[in-house]
Amino acid sequence: MKIYSYAIIDSNSKISDSINGLEGVGVYNIYYRDIGVVVSELSEQIQDITQEHILKHEEVVEKLMENFTVLPVSFLTLFKKKDDVLLMMREYYSDFRENLDRLRNKIEFGIRIIWSGETIRNRIIDTYKKSSANISITDTSPEKSFIKEKFEKYKLDKEFEEEANKVITLIDDFFSRFAAEKKLERLKSDNLLLSAFYLVEKERQGDFKEAFERTKRTPGDLKFLLSGPWPPYNFIVLTKNADMFNRKPINQDLAGKNTL
Amino acid sequence: MTINRIVETDSPEAFIEEIEKIQGALPKRIDANPKNVEKGLAKLVLTLIELIRKLLEKQAMRRIDAGSLSEEEIERIGETLMKLENKMQELKGIFGLKDEELNINLGPLGDLM
Repeated sequence: MKIYSYAIIDSNSKISDSINGLEGVGVYNIYYRDIGVVVSELSEQIQDITQEHILKHEEVVEKLMENFTVLPVSFLTLFKKKDDVLLMMREYYSDFRENLDRLRNKIEFGIRIIWSGETIRNRIIDTYKKSSANISITDTSPEKSFIKEKFEKYKLDKEFEEEANKVITLIDDFFSRFAAEKKLERLKSDNLLLSAFYLVEKERQGDFKEAFERTKRTPGDLKFLLSGPWPPYNFIVLTKNADMFNRKPINQDLAGKNTL
Repeated sequence: MTINRIVETDSPEAFIEEIEKIQGALPKRIDANPKNVEKGLAKLVLTLIELIRKLLEKQAMRRIDAGSLSEEEIERIGETLMKLENKMQELKGIFGLKDEELNINLGPLGDLM
């Protein structure tokens, strides 16, 4: 028998709602001081992880999120016995307490933006060709030809990143008005201009969604995706390294969000 | 409170394609087992050499961009970088590694390069 954990919550009370976890077994709260970790018992180690398992884990966290502030634990975080859970809680208590206080009444939204990297690169090349400020490396030897080619690519990449940063700054400045915290990942690929995560007060989520609608209507070639509200996966900050918070649920990515 | 999760976009196909492309780009772990331990180690070592090579190259480009190098220095750097790149191609060929394989996923920190 193992103990499977779903989330840390800001309560040391019993879970009043009937919530079933993996293998259809009811979840319960193992409390430590004024907080708790919600778990269920698992008869054996999961051998083949299916999407059903992942969705069930996510479903439990979402249900908990309805009534508590949650720190979602990574999928497949298992303990051998209750004492091990309590040991972990004792070790991380101050971190958990701090995060629960900071993330109270806050939710996470994900925003992704795609642009046409190829079009932008071609535009930069065209401008570069027309410009009189071309590089002065003369390709009089194979070594110089090599370095000239490298330098042209370097300049192109640099311009490309500058162009991306301009667009990202514009968009991020707007969304940041509605967010308490943010995390940005720029240019994960030539086309994926931005993957951003915003921590938003629950009562401001309407404003945030409205801001997305307005941004989406902006003329241009950008493609937008909004997902959420999610538990605050990207905003848990621990002073000690804990692998149990490092892995994010796979379906979050499939749904179009989160760090890859 | 009920959670009304939304995923909203006008271009779902474009996002699925892009996300799948990124997810598929790198294995989560270094594939080292008794059968291919040599290739696994070569991948790790060559990834680190590639990182250093790219850093050297970037630093050289910055200096050229700043105009702080003479023609002779540019030529010398060109020769060094060219030889380094050729040697890397050779080693990749020996171990059957592709450019996109020379990277490491550092978990929450993202990819090395």
